[in-house]
Amino acid sequence: MQHTFIDILRLALDEELARDPAVHLLGEDVAAGGAFGVTRGLAEKHGATRVRNTPISEAAITGLATGAALCGLKPVLEIMFIDFATLSMDCLVNQTAKYRYMSGGQLAVPMVVRTQAGAAGGAAAQHSQSLEAWFIHVPGLIVVAPSTPAEAYGLLKSSIRLGEPVLFVEHKRLYTMKGELAEGAELPPIGKARIARPGTDVTLITYSAMVQGALEAASELAEVGISLEVIDLRTLVPLDMATIAASVSKTHRALIAHEAVVNGGVSAEIAARIGSELFDQLDAPVLRVGCPFAPIPFAPELERALLPGSPAIVAAVHELMGRTQ
Amino acid sequence: MSLVAQEVPKIGLVMEDVKVVRWLKNVGDTVKAGEVLLEVETEKSVVEIEAAASGRLSQILVQVDQSATVGDRVAWIDSVDAQEPVDARSPVGTWTPNGAGGPPEQPKIAAPAHQGPQPLTSAAAPRQTGRILSTPVARKLATERGIDLGAITGTGPGGRVQLNDVERAASPRQGAPTATSQPLSAMRRALARAMTLSNATIPQFTVTRSVDWTVLNAVRNELSAKLPKSSVKLSINDFLLQAVARSLIEFSVLNATFAGDLESDAGIVPAMGAHIGLVVAIDNGLLVPVIHNVEQLGLAEIANRRAACVERSVKGRLNSDEIAGATFSISNLGAQGPDRFTAIINPPQSAILAVGRQRDVVVARDGIAVVRSQSDLTLTVDHRVADGRQASQFLARVVDILEGRDWLS
Amino acid sequence: MTEPTLADWKEMYRALWQIRHFEAQVQRLAAAGEIPGFPHLSTGQEAVAVGVCTQLLRDDVLFTSHRGHGHVLAKGSDLTATFAEILGRQNGLCGGRGGSMHLVDAANGVLGATGVVAGNLALAAGAAWAAQALGKKNISVVFFGDGATGAGAFHETLNLAALWRLPVLFVCENNGYAEFTSREEHSNVKHVSSFAAPYGIATQTIDGNDLPTVFAAAGAAIAALRGGAGPYLLECMTFRMAGHYVGDAQQYRSKQELSEIREKCPIERLKRTLVARGVAGEELDAIGERAVAEVREAVERARAGLRPDPSGVLDYVYRSPAFAGIPG
Repeated sequence: MQHTFIDILRLALDEELARDPAVHLLGEDVAAGGAFGVTRGLAEKHGATRVRNTPISEAAITGLATGAALCGLKPVLEIMFIDFATLSMDCLVNQTAKYRYMSGGQLAVPMVVRTQAGAAGGAAAQHSQSLEAWFIHVPGLIVVAPSTPAEAYGLLKSSIRLGEPVLFVEHKRLYTMKGELAEGAELPPIGKARIARPGTDVTLITYSAMVQGALEAASELAEVGISLEVIDLRTLVPLDMATIAASVSKTHRALIAHEAVVNGGVSAEIAARIGSELFDQLDAPVLRVGCPFAPIPFAPELERALLPGSPAIVAAVHELMGRTQ
Repeated sequence: MSLVAQEVPKIGLVMEDVKVVRWLKNVGDTVKAGEVLLEVETEKSVVEIEAAASGRLSQILVQVDQSATVGDRVAWIDSVDAQEPVDARSPVGTWTPNGAGGPPEQPKIAAPAHQGPQPLTSAAAPRQTGRILSTPVARKLATERGIDLGAITGTGPGGRVQLNDVERAASPRQGAPTATSQPLSAMRRALARAMTLSNATIPQFTVTRSVDWTVLNAVRNELSAKLPKSSVKLSINDFLLQAVARSLIEFSVLNATFAGDLESDAGIVPAMGAHIGLVVAIDNGLLVPVIHNVEQLGLAEIANRRAACVERSVKGRLNSDEIAGATFSISNLGAQGPDRFTAIINPPQSAILAVGRQRDVVVARDGIAVVRSQSDLTLTVDHRVADGRQASQFLARVVDILEGRDWLS
Repeated sequence: MTEPTLADWKEMYRALWQIRHFEAQVQRLAAAGEIPGFPHLSTGQEAVAVGVCTQLLRDDVLFTSHRGHGHVLAKGSDLTATFAEILGRQNGLCGGRGGSMHLVDAANGVLGATGVVAGNLALAAGAAWAAQALGKKNISVVFFGDGATGAGAFHETLNLAALWRLPVLFVCENNGYAEFTSREEHSNVKHVSSFAAPYGIATQTIDGNDLPTVFAAAGAAIAALRGGAGPYLLECMTFRMAGHYVGDAQQYRSKQELSEIREKCPIERLKRTLVARGVAGEELDAIGERAVAEVREAVERARAGLRPDPSGVLDYVYRSPAFAGIPG
């Protein structure tokens, strides 16, 4: 049976609410269904105390969720747009991420912050960003980015059960994506990537919505005899370097692609690690595909011109293979 | 001026391997875009390939009789009229079939003026400085195979030597096969090191005795009958281990290792018990697991330990404690082994006993010829630790025990 | 709420001295270079800590600011472990990982101090929310200085706490200064309690240097909270006898100001009050000396603590050093 990404997130939350009385949802408009409808119906089903609306106070609600996580709840906080995570930063960075460490292990923060990123046509500069790179820089935070409905289902559940502070980054354009849910599938571990498509010529490392672009590029490239191995990272920090190493040791060529700005993006960290840890495996420089260095513009033509997708990946692969188109 | 790649274009509908059969120009010659530059042979026919640009042929990458695939770069043209970057999107070469599938008309011509295996380039070569551009994995393979990077022509951007260039150089698709060095596995390398070190640093001599198995074969059957059905079957090696252990305790001079520098702090380090290695043959090599304090063990327990050692060796599960601490090893090449052989001491041990195969021989006993089952035992000893007389006495004692009924079971 | 007995007051007197001497030791050792970083002393503000925390149960949850040693001690945390944490030793509350500004004693309900002004007001509200959601009876208390009212988080948190009727007690120690700036320079609002009414929060401004006053006001507030009345904002006017942090030369205060301050010392005032009720001055002095001696011993035990082993520096980033991503 096919579910949309949104329906699957709702299903996962519904099941976790039923499974564990400590799980509580909160966020702006969450009880009313949430900005994208993810939490629709959950307040009615599980009660107004388990699923709560909050005022527009990102700083306070992030602190609220953190304090509650210290005291026995498992909050799942919704920050409507990752662009607004800026308002949560003091708490996320200075408190949430560091509580276990600063307390010498006395306290943990079992909390999930669900947010969404990405450009989707006309949302413009303050509602279209992909800011996940900031959060991989904070020791103690875990950052997860699902790429399909089935992945989202499993990864959200794993994140809720993990017992650490997790930033769960959904993507606007994936919300309408449809996918199958395998019955009784095991929950995927946090911190482990998956091979979305095996291949032999180039390792393409990616996550979230870009996985779709990567698979399209892989199909196109297969027709000219180039075999792409697509790795869906799933967890951005801690990074599954072992899967990357096994792949690059096979293909000897690495490409990293994401929608976020290339400059200082997650790809920069991965490229640096490949360069230092897998140097002797490289038969070509490590290339990156991402958004050029500009805010996301409003007009559709301008937005389209900026956003990277499978054409950019195909061009980069050809460059890696040292051939003309 | 900029460099334009001359590539093998797609020929027909299938991507084929082709063989270069003729270059119509030499390095340094002027070429004109569209004129025939080289000929390649496909499965079906010889095909002419036109130059991708006008300019000077600056480097030939694939020689006559060498193979290339569609898309491979075969040459660099130093182009005077190139306006687009090197990896331009327009098709780089066109071909015209030479006749309709008939036999090739042109004879194969060896590349003119090139005698060496890989030509290097003229001054206009892609490599601007003396530095060789190469990728990390290409360098690693070249080092492993002992190939000189400078002797390889690179087909990567700027003439960069890439992995496939080194692979091609390592196993060229030419006529004459060349032997390539197969790298040693870690185990064989370790073994080679140990044996070389042993020969180089230990003054080894041998003494030989034959042992009569008659009594032992009977003893073995008797003791085996007494053991529970589930226990490990006693083998000759178990008896050898016990005999050697007891002898090592008695002749403690051999149960020691030489240590230090002959010119300064040389000394003999006695062992605290009889720790004996057993040479075990495994896939493509051997291991020498050690049984510690054999002098305290009965035959049944020796058999257990011996069987466990062998299994762990075969499965590659030995840890470092299990291969250290011995002063003495036993090497038994078994029923298919030689009559006798000399084993090399396994450093830092002091001796090793080589056991030849059991065979029926005619011997004199009490003045008459009888047939007995015997083996030759050859003991190799470190002369810094013991001398001939001590070695002989030790070996005599071992044989004594083996030929007797006095066993700790 | 029952009126404290004389024995109770003497016990609180001891607690005041304990904090006073603890901070004096911190000052002494910081000046001698033994304490890493820059600890913040609460000298002069002891009555607020003791008056409030004496009435908290172990399960009540406490959050405090960078000036939080007194609150942590008054809640009942171990003297040695607290001092050792300030020294950065293995036997400290957090094994040396937190330090003076991040004291945590989870078993005792001390859920954390923070060096970010107003950084944990919302956490205290969250702890109160958890108690409410789980049907527990404990309350949440957070101490902060008047400077925190400049932060957006302060206002967001008051609003949210009132909206959700959370059992959280906001205790503001208004000592008139935010870092080096006096209150008049950074707010038109003279009293922090003025912020409560717009959000619908009960409040009071009291003399934070008079322990009986603090005790009575805090007691009433706590009782109201336990009864489900919603959050309370208690503003305690007090003062800092030491500078903003150890080493701060306090050039922004006048000499006259500083001598007035000594008149207002909470310990002196309680002593006067108890003597007026018939307690012998010498008995109080002896109680004070015993507290001082106890602190001294604890400090020596703390100083004897081992320095942390660097090989464990990556521990506690996650639950286990080798990150196990399998959901628990």
